Amino acid sequence: MAQTRFDRNAQLNGWAFIMPAMMLIGIFMVYPILWSLWMSFQVGRGTNFKFGGLANVERLLNDPVFLRALTNTCIFFIVQVPIMIILALLFAVALNDSTLRFRGLFRTAIFLPCVTSLVAYSVLFKSMFSGDGVVNNVLLATHLVNDPIPWLTDPFWAKIVIILAITWRWTGYNMIFYLAALQNVDKSIYEAARIDGVPAWARFTQITIPMLKPVILFTTIISTIGTLQLFDEVNNITQGGPGDATLTLSLYIYNLTFRFMPSFGYSATVSYVIVIMVAILSIAQFMIARDRRRTA
Amino acid sequence: MSGLKLRGVRKSFGSVEVIRGIDLDIEPNEFVVFVGPSGCGKSTLLRMIAGLEGITEGELDIGGTRMNDVDPSKRGIAMVFQTYALYPHMSVRQNMGFALKFAGVAKDEIDRQVDEAARILELAPLMHRRPGELSGGQRQRVAIGRAIVRHPEVFLFDEPLSNLDAELRVHMRIEIARLHKELATTIIYVTHDQVEAMTLADKIVVMRDGSVAQVGSPLTLYDDPDNLFVAGFIGSPKMNFLKGVVAESGADVRLPEYGDQIIPLHDSVARPAAGTDVTVGIRPEQFEPDGRTKLDLKIEMIEHLGGETYVYASHNDGEVITVAARDARAVKPGQNFVARFNPTSVLLFGTDGNRIR
Repeated sequence: MAQTRFDRNAQLNGWAFIMPAMMLIGIFMVYPILWSLWMSFQVGRGTNFKFGGLANVERLLNDPVFLRALTNTCIFFIVQVPIMIILALLFAVALNDSTLRFRGLFRTAIFLPCVTSLVAYSVLFKSMFSGDGVVNNVLLATHLVNDPIPWLTDPFWAKIVIILAITWRWTGYNMIFYLAALQNVDKSIYEAARIDGVPAWARFTQITIPMLKPVILFTTIISTIGTLQLFDEVNNITQGGPGDATLTLSLYIYNLTFRFMPSFGYSATVSYVIVIMVAILSIAQFMIARDRRRTA
Repeated sequence: MSGLKLRGVRKSFGSVEVIRGIDLDIEPNEFVVFVGPSGCGKSTLLRMIAGLEGITEGELDIGGTRMNDVDPSKRGIAMVFQTYALYPHMSVRQNMGFALKFAGVAKDEIDRQVDEAARILELAPLMHRRPGELSGGQRQRVAIGRAIVRHPEVFLFDEPLSNLDAELRVHMRIEIARLHKELATTIIYVTHDQVEAMTLADKIVVMRDGSVAQVGSPLTLYDDPDNLFVAGFIGSPKMNFLKGVVAESGADVRLPEYGDQIIPLHDSVARPAAGTDVTVGIRPEQFEPDGRTKLDLKIEMIEHLGGETYVYASHNDGEVITVAARDARAVKPGQNFVARFNPTSVLLFGTDGNRIR
């Protein structure tokens, strides 16, 4: 008897302790998520909407701007994430080498972009890559190009600028994870490999990478999610331009909601496209990692 | 199988010299143990032989070839690390065959050699496991297996047993001794445990502060140490050191802290001048009930090991002396105790720490 009363008390106390957090999560996360799911079935403009079933999904499939945004987002993440991950790995391995001089300086320099404000750095990139910006001036002065590169006005170069910007901003962030993982690796493993006659490149591909696999998986998922939600850079550097060439799903959602005639229901539907993509890609990445483990 | 020659080998990290000129000859098939307290440079010396640390000065010669600047993988050595250093993402079989893969050995041949090593080390049932799924002793055997498949001229062991529990350590010690017989290769083994050194070695190299304190067979070091350091380091429990003064006659040593007890000097020992300060060394196990010389002591503490009893005793609250006694089951702390020994079994050391012979 006494035991049950104690149990019940413990239960009540437990719930009381987590209640404030639960309520906040409920109000600011669960409720908006469910509400946006409900919204995605609504059609209409501004505050004037009604239930439309799958009408939004139908609109989605016939919306060339949405398909453009989806394609752009996919290009960004297919091109940028692998580049950034490989770059971060190489930096981490280089900076983990105890014989490298000025390690602390390089480490700080590579990590520093992560702590800069998204908007501030975007504005700087915009000015650097403008027609008469620093980048073009340097390229012209060193005779690497004869005519200024239309960084922000050409669809191809605009994508390059965005990829350069997010790579600059996030490589150090990923590198820190690898560096932390590498510093936990027993040094004698590499010494054993040296004695075993394993060449440097094979030490990287057959020892370092397999040992970092869980961290690589984690950073890939985080980076994929981040790229699918790409907003600040495109909004501040190119505003999605030129001609929707750098329009991303997030920016499109923002435009649908706040720039154009508000279409809350439809933008909620587009948001769920991101949710579904993130879910599918994360599951796929987990499956790939697990399969390799089984066959190894 | 190869021998090794070290001539004037030195190592500095910046301005700090950690290996201060080592000359050493290791014969083919010899089991050599580097032993010494932590920080004495024994592991650094081993890593220099392996090629993991550069040699600042001097010559290293393995099997008749100068190896100072040769890549670690081409020195004909294999190394077993204290932390085992197994590749955590590979199975036991992959771990053992990894080096051969890069040596251009055919797959069938790799399998054959790995199986052979697995047979020697009784690893066959574990071949598909990952290191994380093995016990400490099993991991150690895999690390040894990985070394065996390379058929090295020289095996290097860097404190291989210090991560194992006491029972397993004894077991693996016997395994390594058996392996040495079976493989008939040169082995260099680093440890700080003098019991491992005594039981395994053909030759022990006692190191101190980056130099060799003495080289010799285990029993030579035990019976005939060159200096206080080696005398104190080899043997367990430690040798007792008593302060003494050469008596006026020149033929005896007086122990002022032990009621001026007189120890007659051995005929074979050099006679220091009267009044010289000396250190008298006597091992705990060299006290014997019918010894001719005695020390009057008071017991402070007792350790019963069953077969033997260690009596820790002092004279007038002076330095504690350890006595290994076989028939001291009844003694109690606080009692008076007479420790007897034969003066022929004591060793004499000068104030510079060197043996007076």
